[in-house]
Amino acid sequence: MLIELALRNLRRVKVRSALAVAGIVIGVMAISSIGIFGESLKATILENFKDVANEIIITPDYTHGYTYIDERTLEKLERISYGEIIPIKSKSALVSYKDKKTYLTVYGIDSKDAKALFSLEVGSYRGCLVGGSVAEYFKLRVGSKVAVESKEFRVGGIIRKEARYDINPNFAVVLPVRDFDKLFNEKKKYTMVIVKVSKLEDVDRVKNYVDEVVNRKESKVSVFEMRSIIDRINKAFAQVTLFLMAIASVSLLVAGVSILNIMLMSTIERTKEIGIMRAIGAYRETILKLFLTEALILGLVGSVVGGCLSFLGGYVIDMLILKTAKYVFQPSSLLYVTLGISFGIATAVISALYPAWKASRLEPIQALRYE
Amino acid sequence: MIELIDVYKVYKLGLHEVVALRGINLKIEDGEFVAIMGPSGSGKSTLLYLIGCLDKPTRGKVLIDGCDTSKLSDRELTELRRDKIGFIFQQYYLIPTLTALENVELPMVFKGVPKAERVKRAEELLEIVGLGSKKDRKPRELSGGEQQRVAIARALANRPTILLCDEPKGNLDTKSGEVVMNIIKRLNVEEGVTVVLVTHDPSLKAYADRVVSIRDGVIYADRVSFEKSEES
Repeated sequence: MLIELALRNLRRVKVRSALAVAGIVIGVMAISSIGIFGESLKATILENFKDVANEIIITPDYTHGYTYIDERTLEKLERISYGEIIPIKSKSALVSYKDKKTYLTVYGIDSKDAKALFSLEVGSYRGCLVGGSVAEYFKLRVGSKVAVESKEFRVGGIIRKEARYDINPNFAVVLPVRDFDKLFNEKKKYTMVIVKVSKLEDVDRVKNYVDEVVNRKESKVSVFEMRSIIDRINKAFAQVTLFLMAIASVSLLVAGVSILNIMLMSTIERTKEIGIMRAIGAYRETILKLFLTEALILGLVGSVVGGCLSFLGGYVIDMLILKTAKYVFQPSSLLYVTLGISFGIATAVISALYPAWKASRLEPIQALRYE
Repeated sequence: MIELIDVYKVYKLGLHEVVALRGINLKIEDGEFVAIMGPSGSGKSTLLYLIGCLDKPTRGKVLIDGCDTSKLSDRELTELRRDKIGFIFQQYYLIPTLTALENVELPMVFKGVPKAERVKRAEELLEIVGLGSKKDRKPRELSGGEQQRVAIARALANRPTILLCDEPKGNLDTKSGEVVMNIIKRLNVEEGVTVVLVTHDPSLKAYADRVVSIRDGVIYADRVSFEKSEES
């Protein structure tokens, strides 16, 4: 009966109730759409990292005086059975083509491993690979002969430009290990070992192995997992999303104030009714409950409608900014919609606390005498 | 039994103090029909509200069935009003969003009476006041007299022992006023409900067993109704 009464009270002031609901709808929509957008933005960024998430980068521990990984350490590392081991040598060298020259990083990587690490813009993995920016700088094509130090190499392929955190091939030349060794005579010195685990859960096992086997006596190598970058991106974007949502929640705050306002108006308009109900046996709590129920209904309707519409909002923002809507319907969106809905309901009820309390404090006699 | 002992009521209006009641002593036995007469501003409505536990005396005591109402909590007073007292106001004061039936149900809702039981009771009561066929109408779809009859049905919902009426026919034409008064009188005679009625309308004296006259917050006459004494 109380719910029925609350519903009828709301229906009595249709326009006002509708406007209050609209306020909540907008507030919830703003929060949830922004949440969905933030999550889509993160997903877009993380997409670039999904190939490297399973990588562990092992570098010499410079802080303990190691400048390279030696053959014995590599042998130990190669016993890791959780995935692929890619040893990498590198050196800075003068690279020239026609009349241009510049210092670049030269990697020594076997073609099989290069295949696992890079994707090519053009050409094949055989022979010398050059980074996208290098190719642009020298205006290289497949078949061009580029000179590294004194020796000439035929460009076999051009590596596709991409932003990555393990090694940067854009400004580098990749030579097969055999050629690299001939050129620099650094047969047993590796600058980096990349471990690509087949299962993400094995990252910790690899770390433990390195700690227990390679670094048992002293710290020879440091381990860097790409997963930690992803964690950091996740955290950073969670903060960005939170910040954007905080801005969006201002609109919910405004909606809350409008509910406070209309509820206060209701208590004044219905002073007499409250007095009658108190006179014929309604407790203070009953009046309190009635007003809170009304706010709850407003909040519930507004939030659910707003929650549904926020998928639309998320879709529009994603299309406008990210030019794709493929991340709108992912499980995390549901989380933000739920969050928005709970905030919407909470706002409505909290805003009604004061008016409801005020209504419940009315003395029946004053309420009845009120004109 | 209703008992008022040396009751004062002082209102503060801004800086002024208005003494509405000054030293009222009144005893109303169960089953009595008492009319409290007096001009407007005499304090008669204040007296009714004090008996109805809607207001508290500034000084003195109001006892309902021997229970000192000034010692009761707000919750207990609410329960007292709900279970023992029925109110009938000049303005009817029905809840506009509820139908006649639902208005009558309301005091039972507050008491926690189960749905089926309270609908049955409400229908019976509307039948008694002659509105059985109009139970689903909203107050604005009823005439003044009909609204007042709904208000009577509502006042009776929780089987109160006391019925407090504030100018019950004040807004009604003579005919519907009579219908309303006859219902109240019948409740008093047949059900033994104590009726306290305040009015400035001398014609209502006819229904009462006893007339208490009040002026400027003081009782100046308290006598058994003329008609009544003539009958006996």
